[in-house]
Amino acid sequence: MEGDQEKTLAEIRARVKGLLVDNLALQDIQAEDIRDDEILFGEEGLGLDSLDAVEIVVLLQRNFGLEMKDIDQGKKIFYSVDTLARYIYENRKSNTSKEQS
Amino acid sequence: MNIAGIGTICTRGRGIESFAHALQQGWKAPQFISLQSLPDKSFPVYPLNQESLMDKAVLGKMRRADRFSRMAALAAWDAVQDSGMALDGEHTMGIIVASAFGPHTTTFRFLDDILDYGEANVSPTAFSHSVHNTAASYIASLLDIRGPTITVSQFAFPFHQAILLAQAWLDEKRCDYVLVGSADESGRVMEYICSQKLRIADDGQIQPFHFSAAPKAVPGEGSVFFLMTSREDGRKYGELSEVALSSHRNEEEDKPDICILEADGMAGDETGYRDAVVPGAFAAGYSPLFGSMLTGSGFQCAAAALMLKEQIRYACPVQDNPGRVNICTVTETAEIHSIHCIRYHCGQKKAVIKLRR
Repeated sequence: MEGDQEKTLAEIRARVKGLLVDNLALQDIQAEDIRDDEILFGEEGLGLDSLDAVEIVVLLQRNFGLEMKDIDQGKKIFYSVDTLARYIYENRKSNTSKEQS
Repeated sequence: MNIAGIGTICTRGRGIESFAHALQQGWKAPQFISLQSLPDKSFPVYPLNQESLMDKAVLGKMRRADRFSRMAALAAWDAVQDSGMALDGEHTMGIIVASAFGPHTTTFRFLDDILDYGEANVSPTAFSHSVHNTAASYIASLLDIRGPTITVSQFAFPFHQAILLAQAWLDEKRCDYVLVGSADESGRVMEYICSQKLRIADDGQIQPFHFSAAPKAVPGEGSVFFLMTSREDGRKYGELSEVALSSHRNEEEDKPDICILEADGMAGDETGYRDAVVPGAFAAGYSPLFGSMLTGSGFQCAAAALMLKEQIRYACPVQDNPGRVNICTVTETAEIHSIHCIRYHCGQKKAVIKLRR
């Protein structure tokens, strides 16, 4: 089961990286150049800004059907590619559980 | 109004030197592409070379900028650099961008997003870039310009209207300098529209001297900017002395050395150009170098300014001349005092930009 989770997470991380590169006009950066623990905002890492955060909210809605309404929650979720992928995974999972129950 | 600097970017490269080189080299065949909607038909177009838009030093702060804003910003930047003038905070500079279609690629992407994802899920970047004034904003940010900024959008004479406004700003001393230019892009939407609405030159050649009632076009794209000033030390390329719209004046009173005919097939009926040639003056037309654009006047004006500065009469890139007008057939040094750039729109309305040494 843990292996399945890690495999799914890896797929989501790869998809998130691709979406970031395609939609945020990240110059000279390929999806494979982005590390899983790459910090998204601030001077370190990718150096994204507030407008990018809004773009990511739109991307989550478009591609994963996830709404992001709590800004404080968003700070933790948007910390890195990995935290973003885990948020997507967990919310997908809870959605799936709800559907199953 | 003196021309202190020029920046150009088009299919033949970036910078006024590359434009001068293109004038020296002459005609080159356009690219032939297929449209998704017309896969069996070959379609000529003069697109910008993608490498021309790669300049980290200039565009580093423009990560989100689309193609339209990038080409305008590079041309504007180059015009200031070309002037060699130190533009400090003491002088006021204005920006006027002329465009017929604006950033239509982004605008249509934004509209597609609304259709595909709904109003709540459109990209904020696409939204903010879908308006015509975005390029002017980027230029202001890039060059730290804090004077008045405006975008003129029109089909008939956008560049001419922009020049008239620049002259007004300088006359009323609202600005010491005005960065005035034009930009239009040739995206897939534009290529489709051209294929449906225009007669396309299947051989890839625009014919400026056919004076046809149904001319043929080869869509192009690019941007050209001029740094204008009333200051005498800003007379690098001579003077743009007047813009006359819908003029019926007797050209004999103000006889130029060269009449540049802006015939490119984009604005329909070109029969009026036959009467626009002033007897005794040379005729020229350089649209085959950069393609058909409703804002192509900027490039013709840049060619005129170069000729006045260098005192060179550039050969017409396409010389098919059934009407036997006195066209420039060879590139040669010449004494040139004044040039008129003449544009007709739909065979009736006329605009003349007058430049002198």
